[in-house]
Amino acid sequence: MQVTIKLFAALRWKLFEEEVREYPEGTTVAQLAADLGIPAPEIGIRLVNGRHCPFEQVLQDGDTVFLMPPIGGG
Amino acid sequence: MKIRGNDPANDPSSILYQRCTIDLPARAVRMEDVPCRNVEDVLGGFGRSFQVLAERTITDPYSPENPLILNTGLLTGSNVMTGMRSYFSAYSPLKKSGKGLPGAMWSAGSGDFGNRFKWTGLDEVIFEGCADIPIYVVLRTGESGPQVEFHSAEHLLGLNAHQKIMSLAAAHPGGHFAVIGPAGENYRTVRMGAIALSTEGQLKSDQPKMRFAGRGGLGSLMGYKNLIAIVAISSLKLDKITFAIRDVNRDIVKSPGSARFQPASQGGGGGTWANIEVLEAFHAVPLNNFRPKGNDDVKKLYRDQVEKVFDIASEGCFRCGIRCHNNLYVRNEDGSRGKLAAKFDFEPLILFGSNLGVHDPKQVAELIHLCDSLGMDAISLGTTISYLLDYNERHPEKPLLNGATFGDFEKVRELIEQTGRGQAPALGQGVRRLSEEVGETAYAMHVKGLEIPAYLADTNPGYLFAIAGGHMSMGTHMLYAKEGKSTVEEWTQAITTTGLLQVGYDMVGLCKFVGLGIGHDLIVTGIRETTGLQISSEQVIAAVRRAYLRGLALELRQGYSDEEYTLPPQVLSSPNPKITLPSFITEEFLAQLRKKVWSVFLPEMEGLLPDK
Repeated sequence: MQVTIKLFAALRWKLFEEEVREYPEGTTVAQLAADLGIPAPEIGIRLVNGRHCPFEQVLQDGDTVFLMPPIGGG
Repeated sequence: MKIRGNDPANDPSSILYQRCTIDLPARAVRMEDVPCRNVEDVLGGFGRSFQVLAERTITDPYSPENPLILNTGLLTGSNVMTGMRSYFSAYSPLKKSGKGLPGAMWSAGSGDFGNRFKWTGLDEVIFEGCADIPIYVVLRTGESGPQVEFHSAEHLLGLNAHQKIMSLAAAHPGGHFAVIGPAGENYRTVRMGAIALSTEGQLKSDQPKMRFAGRGGLGSLMGYKNLIAIVAISSLKLDKITFAIRDVNRDIVKSPGSARFQPASQGGGGGTWANIEVLEAFHAVPLNNFRPKGNDDVKKLYRDQVEKVFDIASEGCFRCGIRCHNNLYVRNEDGSRGKLAAKFDFEPLILFGSNLGVHDPKQVAELIHLCDSLGMDAISLGTTISYLLDYNERHPEKPLLNGATFGDFEKVRELIEQTGRGQAPALGQGVRRLSEEVGETAYAMHVKGLEIPAYLADTNPGYLFAIAGGHMSMGTHMLYAKEGKSTVEEWTQAITTTGLLQVGYDMVGLCKFVGLGIGHDLIVTGIRETTGLQISSEQVIAAVRRAYLRGLALELRQGYSDEEYTLPPQVLSSPNPKITLPSFITEEFLAQLRKKVWSVFLPEMEGLLPDK
């Protein structure tokens, strides 16, 4: 299946801004992040098709995944 | 501190802090060792100062009875990383209730002033009344204890904040400084004056690398008191770093919480600047007075775009390994690094950038630099100007002041200059007063009289229960973007359990960018290793909670009504469809939230304020 991946801020600087990749059925967000070589603590926000999701969420063909670093402010 | 016991929870009075009360009109000084009443007193910061404020009845912030309290936290001046905070507390010239009474405020800052102040041996200074002429006060270590001197400050008047600090540094080598800028001097027409705090890097480089205690206009209160600067002179008093403290500091640097703020070149998040890119993914970056348009304008302020124009250096406070400062230096024609242009943090970058319709990094840097030099709070000023630009766009036939609208850099620059010099009282009084004066309050972005920071109110109902600045005193400002929570129950839980603990760092003397919960073991270990005090995480959390609730109780005592615990009307009446996160805040949502949060808080607030 095809998944569109969009990365932001520090993740984008290190890897890429947007790519479409092929993954086997049943791939989770966690497995996608591992495939990209991004350790879980470096991911603060995960969205699938614009909705927040857990690492365990199983992806579907055509999904768009946003991965963002942790943010904080003050 | 005089520590004669080691159990602050059960025997707080065995711990005494040194208070210095300075009667400014009489130039009289009283020193005393004050036994702590509770753990809040022991931890310090606003947890202690708000108990002093609670004993006063203040109806006018510019009255001699309104004290300015300078203090530190238990870990200020210690070997624990980031332990350099100083705190200023008073009834605010800016924050006011619907009844017109001033709200109690504190404002915190880093820099080296806090350490030097702590090392004089003082834990707290209460400035009473007003000096008859402009003065500055020197606090120094003496042979028999801390000493206080009074000096004329006539020669400092009119200088910008950096110039004042450098002038004082020449007169007092080895000192560190808390000063006001021209804005604070013009307190009658500028209620948002900040207090600038010197850093070692500033003194060595003669570049304006100041830190600020900005919120609430406490620099304006200093101006009212004719107190132009405070000088702290002491020798470095750091104990040898123990293995346990070394481990604490290592864990702070390695924690995911602080990694967000560490240099991008070292694998960190690059500071709060990175928030822009993440929030922009939701079109949730403030634009043109907190009204994102769903376009890509803000991308011009992304770090990689700014790097094309400036040299960016990751720098830090004294001995801090987090190094969160993103300092922008002018790139000389030969490629070498020139002078400091500005420090880019999320707040000033957005509030003087996209939220004013200014997207050229050089222009934004100039506006930030000007605000800092004149000594104003970037959040209050930026948000008040964005209101003015919005008003002028809505009323082209009858604009206010110089008629500036969004993107009009030159006119905005002129407005900042005029405000800081006391020549634009409409802006200097803040957005609540301005909007009430012109009769259009719907798009005035404040909550309870304090301008909101650069996190959209559309995404943060937690602002209602922030007691001293929207994001500094309620840690929910990014909850929606981070987790997507949108039910009343989830927000009640967040506000009443974790969100309020945000204020704990403004008690203990550490910076919030440690990035760990105040109940973390590191805090307990840091306290034990540096002071010998035995205190549990639960006791720390309980004290922070009481301190927060005391602040909330003070708001109610100063006349805040239930209706004031709300968001700017435009957020409710006209949800912005450009924000891609689903809109969830309605009048009904806020009504339910208030009901549920108060049902938790009000019973706990009983007895926290003294009977009057």
